[in-house]
Amino acid sequence: MTLQVHITQLGSAQRVLLRALRFEVPAGHILTLMGPSGCGKSSVLAAIAGTLGSVAEGAQALNAQASVRLNGEEIGQRPTAQRGVGLLFQDALLFAHLTVAENLLFAVPPGPRAQRLAQVQQALTEAGLQGYGERDPATLSGGQRARVALMRALLAQPKALLLDEPFSKLDATLRDQFRAFVFDHIRAQNIPAVLVTHDAADVADPARVLELPTHDAT
Amino acid sequence: MGQKVPVTAIRLFWATTLLLLAGGPLLTTAALALGALLDATAWRALWHEPPWLSALGLTLWTGLASTALAWWLSAALLAQGFVRQSLGRLLRGLPVMLATPHAAFAIGLVFLLAPSGWLLRALSPWLTAFEFPPPWATTQDPWGLGLIAALTAKEVPFLLWTAATQLQRDDLRQRWRSEHALAQTLGYSPQRAFWRVVWPQLSARLWWPLLAVLAYGLTVVDMALVIGPASPPTLAVLAWQWLQDADLAVNAQGAAAGGVLTLALLGAALLWRGLQRLHRLGGQRLNGQRGVASMPANAQPSAGLPASYLLLAGLYGAVLLALAVGSVAGVWPFPSVWPETVTWQAWHRVWDSRSTVGTTLGLALASAALALAWSVAWLELAPRRWDTALRPVLYLPLVLPAVLWVVGLYSLALQWRLEGQWLGLLLAHTYMVLPYVLLALSPAYLGFDARYAQLNASLGHGPWHFLWRIKWPLLRRALAASAAVGFAVSVAQYLPTLYIGAGRFSSVTTEAVNLAAGGQRSLTSAYAGLQFLLPVLAFALAAWLGAPRRFKPAHP
Repeated sequence: MTLQVHITQLGSAQRVLLRALRFEVPAGHILTLMGPSGCGKSSVLAAIAGTLGSVAEGAQALNAQASVRLNGEEIGQRPTAQRGVGLLFQDALLFAHLTVAENLLFAVPPGPRAQRLAQVQQALTEAGLQGYGERDPATLSGGQRARVALMRALLAQPKALLLDEPFSKLDATLRDQFRAFVFDHIRAQNIPAVLVTHDAADVADPARVLELPTHDAT
Repeated sequence: MGQKVPVTAIRLFWATTLLLLAGGPLLTTAALALGALLDATAWRALWHEPPWLSALGLTLWTGLASTALAWWLSAALLAQGFVRQSLGRLLRGLPVMLATPHAAFAIGLVFLLAPSGWLLRALSPWLTAFEFPPPWATTQDPWGLGLIAALTAKEVPFLLWTAATQLQRDDLRQRWRSEHALAQTLGYSPQRAFWRVVWPQLSARLWWPLLAVLAYGLTVVDMALVIGPASPPTLAVLAWQWLQDADLAVNAQGAAAGGVLTLALLGAALLWRGLQRLHRLGGQRLNGQRGVASMPANAQPSAGLPASYLLLAGLYGAVLLALAVGSVAGVWPFPSVWPETVTWQAWHRVWDSRSTVGTTLGLALASAALALAWSVAWLELAPRRWDTALRPVLYLPLVLPAVLWVVGLYSLALQWRLEGQWLGLLLAHTYMVLPYVLLALSPAYLGFDARYAQLNASLGHGPWHFLWRIKWPLLRRALAASAAVGFAVSVAQYLPTLYIGAGRFSSVTTEAVNLAAGGQRSLTSAYAGLQFLLPVLAFALAAWLGAPRRFKPAHP
């Protein structure tokens, strides 16, 4: 499983955010995208996941000419739902109308009910949250929410995972723990991952770091 | 810090005053209305009045069917608008629909659907071979279908608009957009992602508006008088007829019928809740089925609006055109599509009784201003816990049947010696307008980022500077829109105007509804058109006042 991305151009009607970006991530590895804020890091992830339309609307709507290949297959023209690319946001974004367990169940692919519930319990255990299933997500701590969000993304069995500054809202100690938790899981799942950050301490693999240039608004 | 205590005390003092100003009369009115139900003879009289049971059946049928249809249609429209990101355009035509008063809409719809109406004229004689209007009961049909259609078409814009007030909150919109995108990265199609993630959260916030729709559908009088079934009519119309009777015993029977309507509403609301819970427990929501994604991700959101929306907009257009043409129609024999002669006679007569328009305008402006001032002060001063506690009381005029509400209002007006007086009428209107204004204003007002206030204070400015220079300018759109809503609600008041005004005051609405029963097409159209025109002007003014500031385009 390899993720190959080639973005010819990314930007809005008014300005170009970036041109000619090309990278490749093999399975089980994590590429880190770095750059100052406003350089279009998050938009790169949105272009890969196909969620650019949700980032901004109207005149600021972003558009990408991009080729995204997952395991050699071109997925850049597919709807988000059919790309098999998971996305972890800066906020945990746990659905407020569902319990913690239901949030996880939401991601489990269809199948026999007992089996799906077992997967949810397994995920809760892995996240160190046994017994938290029936809780309201709002009652969890920031670190617990972040772990649930990751487990939810993984339960959908993505073929690649994108991480949009997932550590930036956690405090220092939690950050180290959660970073290790995320990296371990990605390696265990053996899928390619792209991490966006502006903090050098977040870099997963020093050999795979890409610095995005700043484009002036022209 | 020594200053802090008195400031809070003053604040609580004003909040208490506001609480008493709104809560006192509302609770008294409700108590007086419910007190009128304690008359056992009235209930016995009602029981022995044969048509009440079939009238109740009609009420339940028209109210529930129209509410369910409106709810379902609104949900479908919101889903399409959200997924295609065309909500903005969908909401653009809304003010006009929202501003159309119920009665004016019903009157226009009658002119459209009646045997001699436009629909049949357009089809005759080439298709139908009719040379004369057929003897069909297309408008006051005994099954209430006309009433259901009119109610549904009127309530969809209201539900869409209340949903929009939620969706326009910055915090909610961004969060739901992100959650919607997230659900798609988990494999859900855009449509299903909306139904599973956004709709459950949105619909939970629409419970009070829904209750208002249900209450309105079950208890409406003016619309049912115009387009509803006649013999038997709905229970609300029957109650209204009894309330107007000269015999006090019959009046009490009318109040009792209002009590039955309250119970019917309570039962219907519980039924609705039960069905919702049943649906939730159905477990379908979390079966993991992803749905089929039909829209390519990179395609631009499609430009087209949903067909059902265009149909609704077209209906409003046709209704309003029917009123406009009807108001100037002179001689207009049956199969002709257009009138043969045009006359301004109806408008001359409206001009002659311009005090009616003056009363309407004065009441609407004053009650909207009072309600807006109260709402802003309340949201500004009242602790959130008080606000939550007061809400059910404030919504009383929305959920109690209007026929019962006016009984309470009338007793209160009698006690305060305000019946048949302009001041009494103004207060009656204000208490009807208040909940709508608060409902319209509070999402934006309460969603205002609290950090701006701290920022203002840290820059060394006082609270008034903050309100005048930052908060109110930023909330200009919501403030203007809520005032327009209040204006429109006041214009549309029928029962309170007639009952509290004790026949001494007439508004464009009472004129239009009273005329609708007669045969004067052009004069009825003129008043109904006016009834529509006034709120539309208010909404246009609000849109102009609330337009966001235009900045110079950025050129590097």
